[in-house]
Amino acid sequence: MSGVNVSVEVPLENQVFEITYDGQEIQQPPLSMSENLSRLAQRIDFVGKDDEVGGRNNSGVAASAAGEPMDESSTSGGGTTQGNSEEQTFKTAPAWPWESARNKLQTALTELSVLGDIISIAQQKKYLVLDPVSAEPSDPKAGAVLIYKKRGLAAAAQVLISGSERLRTSMNEAKSKTSISSLPDFHIQLLRLRQNWRLRKVGNSILGDLSYRTAGSRFPQTGIFEVKKAEDAPDETDSVADEPPAPSSSGAASSSQHQQPPSTKPSSALKVIVPNELQGIAYIEVVIQKDQETLSFANIGLPSPSPAPLDAYWQQRLEAAQNVLFCKELFSVLAREAVALHSLPIPPLVVGSQITVTLFPGILLIISLCHSINGKTSTPPVTPKLDHNHVLEHSLHQLLREVHRSNSCIPLPHPASAPIGVSRKRRLAGPCAYDRQTLLTMTKKDGILEEIIKQSQHVVLRLRTMVVIDALSRDIKDPLIVAHWASLNAVTHTCVRLTLVSSGYDMGARTPLMIHVKEKSLKAILRDGKAIHLSYEPQEIRDLILAQIAIHQVMALQTLSKCMGWTVLSSNTHLGVGTCETIGNAAGCLLSSPNGKRQLAIRSSPQLYHCGIQVFIGYPPNSVVEGIGEIFDDQTSDLNQPSLDDGTTDFGSGIVYKSVKLDRLEGKHFLNKIEMLMAVLGDLE
Amino acid sequence: MDSLEPSAKQQELQSLSALDTLTSAMKSNIIPNQEYLLQGSIFDNSVDVLLHRLRGLCDNVDSGPETFHDHEACFVLYGNPGTGQQPPPLTLRVRRALDDTSAPWHLRYMGQAEIGDKNRPTMIRSTLDVAVGSDILEFLKELGCRREFDFITKGFLFRKGRLKIIVGKVYRYESGKSSQELEPVTQSHYVEMSVVAPTGQDTVGDDMKTLAEQLKPLIFLKKEK
Repeated sequence: MSGVNVSVEVPLENQVFEITYDGQEIQQPPLSMSENLSRLAQRIDFVGKDDEVGGRNNSGVAASAAGEPMDESSTSGGGTTQGNSEEQTFKTAPAWPWESARNKLQTALTELSVLGDIISIAQQKKYLVLDPVSAEPSDPKAGAVLIYKKRGLAAAAQVLISGSERLRTSMNEAKSKTSISSLPDFHIQLLRLRQNWRLRKVGNSILGDLSYRTAGSRFPQTGIFEVKKAEDAPDETDSVADEPPAPSSSGAASSSQHQQPPSTKPSSALKVIVPNELQGIAYIEVVIQKDQETLSFANIGLPSPSPAPLDAYWQQRLEAAQNVLFCKELFSVLAREAVALHSLPIPPLVVGSQITVTLFPGILLIISLCHSINGKTSTPPVTPKLDHNHVLEHSLHQLLREVHRSNSCIPLPHPASAPIGVSRKRRLAGPCAYDRQTLLTMTKKDGILEEIIKQSQHVVLRLRTMVVIDALSRDIKDPLIVAHWASLNAVTHTCVRLTLVSSGYDMGARTPLMIHVKEKSLKAILRDGKAIHLSYEPQEIRDLILAQIAIHQVMALQTLSKCMGWTVLSSNTHLGVGTCETIGNAAGCLLSSPNGKRQLAIRSSPQLYHCGIQVFIGYPPNSVVEGIGEIFDDQTSDLNQPSLDDGTTDFGSGIVYKSVKLDRLEGKHFLNKIEMLMAVLGDLE
Repeated sequence: MDSLEPSAKQQELQSLSALDTLTSAMKSNIIPNQEYLLQGSIFDNSVDVLLHRLRGLCDNVDSGPETFHDHEACFVLYGNPGTGQQPPPLTLRVRRALDDTSAPWHLRYMGQAEIGDKNRPTMIRSTLDVAVGSDILEFLKELGCRREFDFITKGFLFRKGRLKIIVGKVYRYESGKSSQELEPVTQSHYVEMSVVAPTGQDTVGDDMKTLAEQLKPLIFLKKEK
């Protein structure tokens, strides 16, 4: 009901035990814990004959569980009589069935509490200290130690002896077969192998790794190969790629040395087993196709799909397997990028082991992975009628290596306390306050496929430009077209310098033209410095060159006239008179002879075969038109004839122009002919 | 007309202030602001052996070890002496590369080492790295920081995965002297292995411990000084 604190106090007086003669009372010391416990334990009937237990005894036992002297004061006064009665009355039948269990639990609790108290007192270290029992130091018997050491050494020696036995037997066997002494020893071969490839010993077998992982590749396919001692010859010569795994490990002395039949060439003492998917030969075929005709192609890896002979030297086999792995990785990277590429108007098509990309309308780039296992080719090899484009081959190889390198070589920070993993440009982004746009463009990077597309486009464009220039220089002889292609170029940029020159008149009559060939466009720089951007259509460059030829003729003529003493009355590179040209503009100039008695009017048109160059000789009014030979072209209308029946204003009689048939003139080419003409016309009185 | 004015979505994106992006970055635990560190020292006469061993263990075997030559200055910002409670002084370190003058300067704040459980193999302290320009000195002076000390350090820099290992030697800094006459402070080199990572990536400590084991008994890298 109400919380009343009840405190239980122990009466401090102890029972007087004895009174000495001088009046001192010797009090009975309170029972120690162990004495109390033993007194209580005597009361407990551990046998189990607890038939009748009085209630008082229960309470007595319960109260004494805590070791209170209160109990003892009540019982100690009684002395033994009450103790006896208690003992007697203790063995009574249990009042309720859980009596015995409860008693036992209580005693257990008592004991545990005692234990707990002892431990806490021992921890205080003031009243009770626990000391370890020190064992007797055992004498180190010198004899026993000696025996142990001897046993250990014997075990180690046994291992060494067994190893040396194996080596000795293998050496003896090697010495015994002196017939094929040129065969190198297994261990020397293993040493050579170890110098070229990474090997490690796993359990009993020697495994190696031929992947590009340490170079920075992150291709999931592992390139683990196993090295085994070569078995007998008959197994090797007629078995296919998957040989039964050799049962013995490399160190087993029981394997016999192989004996080669004299027909096959001797192989090495060890044999490498490459994983099945890396066997055979693989190469990546890059073909640029226009409709059905192949323009250019390249092979990566070993060019001929001939199978590697099974008893080939291990170096060749391992290199072939590594090449297969490289080609697989390259193709997987290309395929992944092809699927994700959206910047092209026609997205690339990935079918099986072939990627098709449209470079220009009608021109396709086909990249395919050709993997042949033991001579059975998966795709028929393309007959190599055209030359390999080694640049494309090298580029693909280099691009993947670049990816590997960027994975492994991260530039280290300067100053050294800066965090690693951040590229140099990113480090500068903070202090230089780059904006978001700059940061975004900095992180964008072209993939391998995009790079190879650009290079292939450039190859096609360069080829086309070459074809156009060659065709023109073959067809046109009047100004000679001299093309100098730059020998050092970038992969997507080539320069060609065209010079239009009239032979014999090189000093004065030269027109330079510089053409930059890029991936999808051309840039032409004309003689006056103008830059013209052209698209990839070959017709555009052809038209430009023709136009430049027309201008060249007129310009060359001006230089010539200076030499000859003729005056240039007017000159125009883009004439707005006359028939409208389909390509470009016509150029023209008007010359006057030194004595002023004759004029020359020249109109040079870019169209080669229709009008070409038209030359008119102008005669002063009221002069006699003398034909020099039959050079005049009578079919052209005499433009200066005034029509008399017009009734309109009389123009007066001006200069009479007569057209000249150039093919009747003597001379190698146009300039030569005009020089002759100028010489003749200028010589009149 | 529409192309000149940004659309509604673009305007919304532009209004994302730098503070918003920074707080979201901090919440998503991607900012590397914890440094896991192991340090040790080695006498000068044994440095070559250590360098050979590190060259074999670390990445970039084909190119030689990268050298560095830095100048570090320590700035301390004391709290207001007038008020009652003084906050602990803030230490900032400014480091510039003497061999690469185009590289940005580096400002670093390093907090106290975390006193955590003894089972952790490395020392952990919170770090903030900022790339700054050369006007940081003026800025810190204006803020009220006092330039406590300077030193020059020269040595080699290695990398293994994301572990950075520095083997360097500390020299005294004199403003008048050229870089040729460097006066060493001790007869030994210091070695530091550190990784800066976001909080919670404790597996890094095990990697560091593995590498430190490889360098025993040449050098014992410990987490305390």
